[in-house]
Amino acid sequence: MYMGMKLIDLVETHAEPIARQWARNVRKNPFTPYYHSMPEKDLVPQAVVFYENFRRLFMEPKPVEASQGYFTRYAEESYRKGVPLHEALYALILMRRQIWLYAEFQVLFLTAVEQNLAVESITRTILMFDYAVYFISKRYRELMKLEWFEAPNT
Amino acid sequence: MSGSLKLIALIEKHADPIAHAWAKDVRRNSRTASYHDMPEGKLVPLAIRFYDNFRKMFYAEKPAEVSREFFARYAEEQYEANVPLHEAIYALILMRRHIWLYAEFQVIFITAVEQKQAVDSLVRTILMFDYAITFMSRRYQELIRGELNDRLAVLNMIRLESPLGTRLSPYRTAIMSVLLIGSFLLTYYYHAVMGSNVIFTHLFYIPVVLAGIWWKRKGILLAVVLGVFLILSHSVFLRGIPLTDDFVRAVMFIVIGAVVAFLSEGITMAEEIYRLKAM
Repeated sequence: MYMGMKLIDLVETHAEPIARQWARNVRKNPFTPYYHSMPEKDLVPQAVVFYENFRRLFMEPKPVEASQGYFTRYAEESYRKGVPLHEALYALILMRRQIWLYAEFQVLFLTAVEQNLAVESITRTILMFDYAVYFISKRYRELMKLEWFEAPNT
Repeated sequence: MSGSLKLIALIEKHADPIAHAWAKDVRRNSRTASYHDMPEGKLVPLAIRFYDNFRKMFYAEKPAEVSREFFARYAEEQYEANVPLHEAIYALILMRRHIWLYAEFQVIFITAVEQKQAVDSLVRTILMFDYAITFMSRRYQELIRGELNDRLAVLNMIRLESPLGTRLSPYRTAIMSVLLIGSFLLTYYYHAVMGSNVIFTHLFYIPVVLAGIWWKRKGILLAVVLGVFLILSHSVFLRGIPLTDDFVRAVMFIVIGAVVAFLSEGITMAEEIYRLKAM
């Protein structure tokens, strides 16, 4: 878990600059056109909240329950704003990538031992995002059903 | 890249047992309920095809392009099989996990150097799955939108709206003018010529309902016009007959017109919300 801690510390202490990088990325990425017209100042807090929650989600002994609550809310907010599902998911994927880009930039995983531990850290992060994608797409479906009574296979 | 090569070789060599392990998992996993009743014989080829394509996607110079085609097709198949998106995605996630479970089982990344290779390999695999999730969810939304457009086709025909949203206003005005003139003439014929107020006014519901559908709240005005015309005509040509019946009919025009108008507004609003979300 040591490397996980190192990553969490990095994310927490650098939440703001990572969030800014993410906002810049998402505002020009061709997979997230919805975000292009959103001002950076509206986007940054969204990512900061996520990065600040990262420790709790990462360390949670029951990651499923923790992810469910957080990412269901993320889905509801995105849905209310009118973000298409695939863009909401990709924006989240970019949040994860931004951590890694920043971690690489900070040469966090330099030595052979650290590389070894990095595998564990990546696996744990990916597990969290697997649940995230599942819960977000599930919640979008439920919300679409509420509006459409019974939308086609969503 | 050698770590990735090792992983690819493992997948290609063991595609069948990995696919079987995945099929077993997906048939009992609580997050993939739609797959529980699918026979293993149908599921295994699905996974094998994915694992067979793995190398192609893994080494593609533009992985996004290769992934787009494959996962769009995959999404179409799952959609046709009535698998909800979140389950289709989770089944795919399980495909990825099974590669790693098998890789761990085969202990292909043991030494420190191999662990470094494992990191490269993980990152590359995840990149591919990131695209997979994006393309699948996008394709699902396109399919949902297409299906809803089909379902709305009859309604759009009545509403005189083209699928692209072009409103066919001139046709509406022309049809409504003909219906209104027909209603006026019918009223005149029955009241002035026949001297009777027999129930011919049921036909007035056609323009009243169409006006509500086409012009929503503004359409209520047409119901008011028809009602007022009916009462005026009665007052002029049927002085000896009590006004009560025609008055009730006139009120009903307005009530029905209002109900249809509000329903039509609700449908349009829901449709707009949907179009926005499914974009």
